[in-house]
Amino acid sequence: MVKEMAGGQVEKRVRLKSSGKDPGTPGFLRIREEMLLFVADDPKSDSKLKVQTQNIESHICTKEGSNKPNWLKLTNKEVFCLPLEGVISSSFKIIRTCMLAVTLSQRPLLNVKRNQLFRHPLSSSVLQTWSYASSFFEKVGIELQRLHKQLVEGKVLTEDEFWATRKKLLGKVSTGKSKQQVGIKSMMVSGIKPSTDGRTNRVTFNLTPEIIFQIFAEKPAVRQAFVNYVPSKMTEKAFWTKYSRAEYLYSTKNTAVAAAEAAEDEELAVFLMPDEILARETRQKIRRVDPTLDMEADQGDEYTHLMDHGIQRDGTSDVVEPRNDQFRRSLLQDLNRHAAVVLEGRSFDVESEDTRTVAEALTRGKQVSKAGGGSTKDANQERLARMSRAAEMEDLQAPQNLPLAPLCIKDPRDYFESQQGNIILNEPRRAGASKRNVHEAYGLLKESVLEIRSTGLSYPLIKPQVSFEVFSWLTRTISTAKNIIGKNPKESFLNRLPKSTKDEVLHHWTSIQELLIHFWSSYPITTTYLHTKVGKLKDAMSNTYSELDAMKQSVHSDLRHQVSLLVRPMQQALDAAFEHYEADLQRRTRTAKSGEGPNGCI
Amino acid sequence: MSNQRKRLNGEEEDDEDGDGIGDWERAYVDDRSWEALQEDESGLLRPIDNSAIYHAQYRRRLRMLSVAAAGTRIQKGLIRYLYIVIDFSRAAAETDFRPSRMAIMAKHVDAFIREFFDQNPLSQIGLVSIKNGIAHTLTDLGGSPESHIQALMGKLESSGDSSLQNALELVHEHLNQIPSYGHREVLILYSALSSNDPGDIMETIQKCKKSRLRCSVIGLSAEMFVCKHLCQETGGLYSVAVDEVHLKDLLLEHAPPPPAIAEFAVANLIKMGFPQRAAEGSMAICSCHKEVKIGAGYTCPRCKARVCELPTECTICGLTLVSSPHLARSYHHLFPIAPFDEVPTLSSQNDPRRKLGKSCFGCQQSLLGAGNKQGPCVTCHKCKHYFCLDCDIYIHESLHNCPGCESIHRPKSVSLMEE
Repeated sequence: MVKEMAGGQVEKRVRLKSSGKDPGTPGFLRIREEMLLFVADDPKSDSKLKVQTQNIESHICTKEGSNKPNWLKLTNKEVFCLPLEGVISSSFKIIRTCMLAVTLSQRPLLNVKRNQLFRHPLSSSVLQTWSYASSFFEKVGIELQRLHKQLVEGKVLTEDEFWATRKKLLGKVSTGKSKQQVGIKSMMVSGIKPSTDGRTNRVTFNLTPEIIFQIFAEKPAVRQAFVNYVPSKMTEKAFWTKYSRAEYLYSTKNTAVAAAEAAEDEELAVFLMPDEILARETRQKIRRVDPTLDMEADQGDEYTHLMDHGIQRDGTSDVVEPRNDQFRRSLLQDLNRHAAVVLEGRSFDVESEDTRTVAEALTRGKQVSKAGGGSTKDANQERLARMSRAAEMEDLQAPQNLPLAPLCIKDPRDYFESQQGNIILNEPRRAGASKRNVHEAYGLLKESVLEIRSTGLSYPLIKPQVSFEVFSWLTRTISTAKNIIGKNPKESFLNRLPKSTKDEVLHHWTSIQELLIHFWSSYPITTTYLHTKVGKLKDAMSNTYSELDAMKQSVHSDLRHQVSLLVRPMQQALDAAFEHYEADLQRRTRTAKSGEGPNGCI
Repeated sequence: MSNQRKRLNGEEEDDEDGDGIGDWERAYVDDRSWEALQEDESGLLRPIDNSAIYHAQYRRRLRMLSVAAAGTRIQKGLIRYLYIVIDFSRAAAETDFRPSRMAIMAKHVDAFIREFFDQNPLSQIGLVSIKNGIAHTLTDLGGSPESHIQALMGKLESSGDSSLQNALELVHEHLNQIPSYGHREVLILYSALSSNDPGDIMETIQKCKKSRLRCSVIGLSAEMFVCKHLCQETGGLYSVAVDEVHLKDLLLEHAPPPPAIAEFAVANLIKMGFPQRAAEGSMAICSCHKEVKIGAGYTCPRCKARVCELPTECTICGLTLVSSPHLARSYHHLFPIAPFDEVPTLSSQNDPRRKLGKSCFGCQQSLLGAGNKQGPCVTCHKCKHYFCLDCDIYIHESLHNCPGCESIHRPKSVSLMEE
């Protein structure tokens, strides 16, 4: 459904309407940077649209998540309309974002940036760029734009890397997560009850697309009849009226009337007679002699009246069934059929309102599964698996108590030494030295304990000079903190700085956070790509470090202390990153020199 | 409950709610207050002494747990990744649990989440709801109880059918991404009596079993075969709550870490950071709130980023940050205290063979009950001290150390240093 043409164009299927009541002309909408063009499916149609983007005054789109049908309206032109469907709503989102990018391009401030993004060579598709561009402008504002400019346009990070951590910002991008499907309702097809009004002699059946899907899934004969008869022999409404009549006759259990009507009306007979397609499928299953056939369920199977089916009965206890028993259906048959349909699984959701599409899709699905089910090897394996599962009688099985893992606490010194080994690779083992330290410490402790035993504890326990020093230091620290916080502790510290300084500090902080996230996620370095990336990040971090110093110098002397307090933890974080980088580099050069580089490392 | 007072002729009527019955009537109609009475020896009525029943139930539960874990010590899943799946289908609006199943589930899940993080500080919880036949993720895996509870309480509506298969598929997708040392668990609170699935749920159950997902179900209506089968296959627990108190007990049973199954228990070294508390006057912009924080907070030992609370994962370098009390709280589960022995009540107080302490070793309160007879108490078989029932519960559930055993003087411990 999405067509991306070369040269930066997006094409989507839409319906062009000139007013609310107009049914709309289906066709393609092509959105280009400089123009919007609509081309109808029917070449003879009069509906056309061609407008330069600079001439678009404004546009209105349906909001995300609202219940209204999706539409896009240009205030100076006609209304566009899209069918409201689950899949297509993502296409509408793309159109929305493209339109946003288009109209925002009219602001001169952002024009250059958008063009640069648009022509960015590293994006995987035009669509992504458009989507990034417009989400970027719409949702997140100036700050992220600045960050984007610094990091992506400064060639520190690629577009994909930048947006990789911000998927949520661009909306829920489906990354291969399977969409959930709703199961078929437990209320079976036979349970659809009509509504009656007490006055007239009419019953009304309300058939929703969901119910129609269920009917087609459970009754292949009805599905086949629909494909054959509609719209050639009868309209859809007539078809469903006949079907509903058949259901009503079933529910009255009046087999004589049912037989009479079936004799008169050929199409009605299709609904009243047993489902031949189903019977064929069942015979195939019987022929495969399924050893997991449950004897009890056999009684209530779908087609017990078929010949050669089930256990041979001698007929003595059989009730002589009337001639018209083919017009009866039992609850067990319905239940089993419903269960079989559920277990087969649901291959697609009811997306289209068009009943014919649904019927054809179901028929196709059946053919595919029949073709696929012909493989005997898989069928045998599946049967074996089913046999092993079904052969167990639940009550006779032993309780499934899986053996529990015994607790085993290993000596931490093993792990400690292995960790230390990584760091002090070439240093001589100083195990003896550490033991000596332990002995020394113990000796000192023992001495002080003996001293206390002999002389007793001194009073006061702590020397007054020491306690005074601690006390005064604490007071100083707390009062300094109070000075920093100010008289009003609730007032944000940042708000006391002038706006430009505050913005600059926050911007630096945001860019440092971003650089550090990418830096730390690149370790351990196993590929060349990561090695290059870390190099680029390290250079960017060094630049930021010097920018922080410059900012500290440039700020007004009144604010210098406060700004330096804020900048210090940022520089500490950068220092930690540099240290790690250096240590890792040294370790790798050492291993490379010793010639025992581990696999994959440079 | 609306309090509409109608003043007719200056008189005040009783508080009424929309149903037209007053509070005092509800105590009879709904709560059956006559069942809370019993006769004492002289035939007079008195309220039931719930504490004795509570203690008896508690001791029975403790005995069952200890029987299962008797003998060798077993590994337990300390780093748990648990998804709580709550059924918000139309069956959750039933009012057999007052005020509705949904409200009771939310209330107890709130308590459970707090208890869970108390007992398992290194673990994470995520919330999933089932509504209209589809499963929705309410919160992703995280270690902050407040965010989960807020998300849960904000979405208390029920509608549509319930689908067990969709919930299992969603949780399976989420839990497939966690590292191998984590224990994958699902706890399903199921109100409905059926499951509307898009396909064969048995296949999903086999998939969960292969992924080592331990699924437990707590039913609120009746036992269902598919839930029982799911729990049996995956090694979880299935129970059906009969009333609110029972539901709370069943939920809280899942708070302590479960035993680890031998074939799935993988031994790994996990890197964790023990951050230092930031100095009083220090200032930094914290990574979680993007605000300037002064004083309180912790600094990641690896990347020096500032975090506000523990345990958490550093937003910059991804290191798990914990403090030693968190580890200690997890460690206790590996070394549970054996249940104390009940002291049989003897008719004779003057038995010379028995040396009955007159007060509980834990709280020093008198163990003698009414009429100077010995009240119910327990004793530790290691240190032989006596404890009252409240201390018994406190020691086993919160303290995880026997004060008597810890008080025993061990002169040999000093000589261990010389080795």
